[in-house]
Amino acid sequence: MKFGQAMLAVAAATAMQFSASPAAFATGKMKCDAGPQSGWKSRTDLESKLKKDGWTVKKSKVDGGCYEVYGVTPEGQNVEAYFHPVTMEKLLVSQRGKVIFKK
Amino acid sequence: MLRILKNPRLIWLVLAIPGIAMVAGFVRDPVTAFDLIHPSGEYSVRLMIVAMMISPLRAVLGRRSWLDWLLAHRRALGVAAFGYGALHLAFYLYDMGDWGMIAEEAVIFSIWTGYAAMLIFAAMAATSNAASQRMLKANWKRLQRLVYPAAVLIALHWLYVDGEWEAMLAHFVPLLVLEIIRVVLMLKRRSARRAKHAMVN
Ligand code: HEM
Repeated sequence: MKFGQAMLAVAAATAMQFSASPAAFATGKMKCDAGPQSGWKSRTDLESKLKKDGWTVKKSKVDGGCYEVYGVTPEGQNVEAYFHPVTMEKLLVSQRGKVIFKK
Repeated sequence: MLRILKNPRLIWLVLAIPGIAMVAGFVRDPVTAFDLIHPSGEYSVRLMIVAMMISPLRAVLGRRSWLDWLLAHRRALGVAAFGYGALHLAFYLYDMGDWGMIAEEAVIFSIWTGYAAMLIFAAMAATSNAASQRMLKANWKRLQRLVYPAAVLIALHWLYVDGEWEAMLAHFVPLLVLEIIRVVLMLKRRSARRAKHAMVN
């Protein structure tokens, strides 16, 4: 393949991606306004609840004021998921940057 | 000291050290495969970017001995970038551990851009020897130029896979700026040559 053709192919694929999901990378993150941490449920509680529901948790941390969990859903998808730290509600799930659930 | 810097085997060893550390960590505790996807990918990108910066740096700064040194070892940098890409892929496959899910993810934009870049890296690495260079003649240079679409693919891969656009830009903007300066210089020199021709005529 010629250089110009290769560049064109990449440009076309990118354009298609942008039109299909404008700035998907920008929405693959979440912000929570959940008040002081003293009122939060513990991360361990969230992890054990998820495990009971059939998830595999690889890692969890605080991100943007939410709990962020890297793991595998009961359906087997490798995801990055955001949960509200007070209500433990599931807010956003993305698979390799592609949003597959949004509250 | 300077003689040591010229030893090709030492360069390969130095480039391999972080990879050896990653593999050792993995062997000790395979659960770390998930955490090793990140550093192996970053090493791959960094080595590719350093290799890609050598030519534009020479165009901008002129000949420098440290640039000559880098140029002499560019092949090692490129092959190491491929090596870390392969390690990155191996950690990813191990972490996934399920061919069905691997296939399902392969069609996601952030993932197929990674595979596409890896294919280019593989083709370049496989032909990174004097015999291939002789055999392919002018096509060899054409093949090497595929590193530019590979760089674009990796920038997109990074951006989409985890949305860390600040880290991605921190790596790619220096290269982009250098390439822009190189093109501007090239155009300037060309028009200066043309002006000179016009005067002679
Ligand atoms: C061969 C196919 C590839 C696959 C399946 C793949 C997969 C992945 C995955 C799943 C991540 C996210 C890691 C995480 O969330 O911690 C990632 C990140 C990354 N990949 Fe790849 N990748 C591939 C090829 C490449 C290549 C060839 C490069 C570089 C030349 C590369 C560079 C990176 C970088 C820099 C990151 C970002 C690290 C981070 O911020 O987590 N990848 N890749």
